[in-house]
Parts: sequence; structure tokens; C-alpha cells
Amino acid sequence: MAKSKLRKTFVEPLGKNNPVFVQILGICSTLAVTNKVQNTMVMTLGVTFTTALSSWTISLLRNHIPSRIRMMVETMIIAAFVIIVDIVLKAFYPEMWKQLGPYVGLIITNCIIMGRVEAFALNNKPLPSLVDGFASGLGYTYVLLSIAVVRELLGSGSIWGIRILGSWWTNWSIMIMPPGGFFVLAIIIWVIRETVMKEESHA
Amino acid sequence: MSVQRSFYKDRIYPLIFMFVTTLLCILLTSGLHLLTLDRAEANELSFARRAILQAADLDFTNTTDGIERAYRMQIGEEAGFYTATGTFGTRYIIPLDGPGLWGTITIMVGLEEDLETFSGVAIVSQNETPGLGARIEESWFTDQFKGKRAPFIMVEEGTSSAPQEVDAITGATRTSEYFKNLTARVPGEAQRLIRGE
Repeated sequence: MAKSKLRKTFVEPLGKNNPVFVQILGICSTLAVTNKVQNTMVMTLGVTFTTALSSWTISLLRNHIPSRIRMMVETMIIAAFVIIVDIVLKAFYPEMWKQLGPYVGLIITNCIIMGRVEAFALNNKPLPSLVDGFASGLGYTYVLLSIAVVRELLGSGSIWGIRILGSWWTNWSIMIMPPGGFFVLAIIIWVIRETVMKEESHA
Repeated sequence: MSVQRSFYKDRIYPLIFMFVTTLLCILLTSGLHLLTLDRAEANELSFARRAILQAADLDFTNTTDGIERAYRMQIGEEAGFYTATGTFGTRYIIPLDGPGLWGTITIMVGLEEDLETFSGVAIVSQNETPGLGARIEESWFTDQFKGKRAPFIMVEEGTSSAPQEVDAITGATRTSEYFKNLTARVPGEAQRLIRGE
């Protein structure tokens, strides 16, 4: 019984309760970082790490946090994890750190993290909270990666910085600019809701 | 009694809790920062040296070791500027910074012996809008300055033809303007730093 519940906690954020295309959370970063697959990968790893560990930490403390200051405590803990990501990137992946620039710090404002903490971690035990945070991160990751693949391919003719399309290809510069993010995200949400989700709701 | 208890619970306990959480978070992050400080500083230095090599238009392998080797072999450090020697003669590299849209833009500019012709431009640091102004770091943009002389004229992206013209960045008109103003200061700065005038 406990196992199947844990499984449900893990599967839901990947599909019918996906943070991006169902809850429409974390959209700012979805638009901002998805013009290159490599940047997206690092950003989503950072978010997954932060969501999982913040949920876990706050779940551990959930019976001790005074409820009127809980948001301050949550922000503080999330910020600490984000700073850890920033420091590690700066020291070990400086090139990536330089490219992501202010976005790493902005992981703090990613609504998915605060959302999962408020909606799940405050009322659940540490292990399910960790799983929920991690799965929400993964749900965010695969949606963002698919957007990034489309945008980088059409916008720069490459994937992961490797040229895929030949010199005949004219880059769609709109794809690597912010509007391209809106277009691709909207199309993906529409396609998923019209096909996969519709079938689910009929079943 | 109950009044006192709720005073503790409502006022004192949250204060203590917040204080302890903050303290722990600060200890954790600053500890990690201190542990990795040497590495982070080495990375910064490597970035600056790479910018100098790029501004001098030299060939090098883009790894920490490659940058270090090329730098030691070909770059000389003077007061306030750098020199590069090779088959091309001597090139002078000067650091320069100026305002950008959101923060300071720091660049390295390489000059031929006439102190007017650019051998290259490289960005050391900038805080421009990612995806728009931040594209001043991209090589198609910086490469445009090679072999040209300041001041430049910024024209619409993809339309430069005359020798003074460089392509501005679409969607980053302000950053392009700031960059133009920054490069316009190069000949004067070079005279001041290198010739001491």
C-alpha cells in the first residue's frame, strides 16, 4: 500500500499533474533558458536538485516551523540550496556558469519549488516529499528539454551545440529569442492537452 | 501563565527559529564558498587571460592548460596593458570598461602597432540581457572588429558593408550603442596607456 502510494507520488508530476503543462508553473525559466539544450540541461538539473532537497528538508522540519513565518523559512532553505548550485557551477563548470549568468540565482524564484513545498512537503513525510520534489523536477526537465530541442534545432540548426542541419538551413532567429519560447511552449501544451490528456479524461 | 506561554510561542520561538535557520544556511553556504574560493579565482584569471589571447587574435587550445601555455609564451605584462609578439610584429592589448544596459561591460581590445587598427575584441564580463544584449559575447559579433578602426557605425544586423560599419544586434539596440561608445574610446585610451600621453 505504502509502495503504491509512493509510486503514485512519483508518476503524477510526470504526467497528469505535470508542473509545466498542467499546473503552468515555472514558465519564466521555461521561456528564458530553453534556447540552448546544454543550458536547459544544467538549469533543469539545478531545479531538480533544489526542489527535491528543499522539499525533503522542509518536510523534516514541518512540525517545528511556526506557521506564520513558514514562507520565510522556506525561502531561506531554497535560497541556500540554490547558492550551493551556484557555487559548485562557478568552481567546477565555469563556462556553463558564465553562460547561465543570472538564471542560476533565479532558480529561487521558480514557482515549482515553492509550490511543491507548500502543497506537498508541509503535509507529508520526508521520503514522499523527496520523491515528489524529485519527480516534479523530472517533469519539468523533460518538458523543457523537448522545448529546447525544437528551439535550438530551428533557431541555430544544432542540438547540444553540434550542427545537425547543413548550411542550406536558414536559422529562424525568432526561435532563440523570447517569443520563440512562447510559441513552442504553447504548441507543446496544446498538443499534449489535445492528445494525451484528452484520452486520459475520457478513460 | 497561558499569556506568557503564548507570548513565547507567538513571538520568541519564531524569532529564535528564524535566527537559527538563517545561521545554519549562512554557515553552510559560506563554508562551501571558502572551500571552492581558490578554484573560482583560478577560473576568473583563466577567463581574463583567454580574453587577452582572443583580443590579440592568437591561436590557442581552449583548455585551462592551453590558455596558460599560450599566455606564458606570447603575452607580456606591462603597466596597465599587455603586449603580444609573433610573426605579425607586436600587438598591444588594453583592458577597458564602460556602462552597458544593466551593468558594466569589461572588454579587452587588441591593437596593431599603429594603435588604431583592431586585432580583436573579447568580452571579459557583462550583464546584458541574456539572449539579446548578451550576444555581444558571440564570435560573429566580436570578429567584426578585426582589422577595422574606431569609431564604428552600428547598422542593422546583417547589413554592414562599409569598412566603418559593424552589424548591431537585433533586439539589443541599446547594448549595441553602449558597445559602440565603449569602442570609440579605444584610440584615446591606447594613446594614454601605452604612449603615456
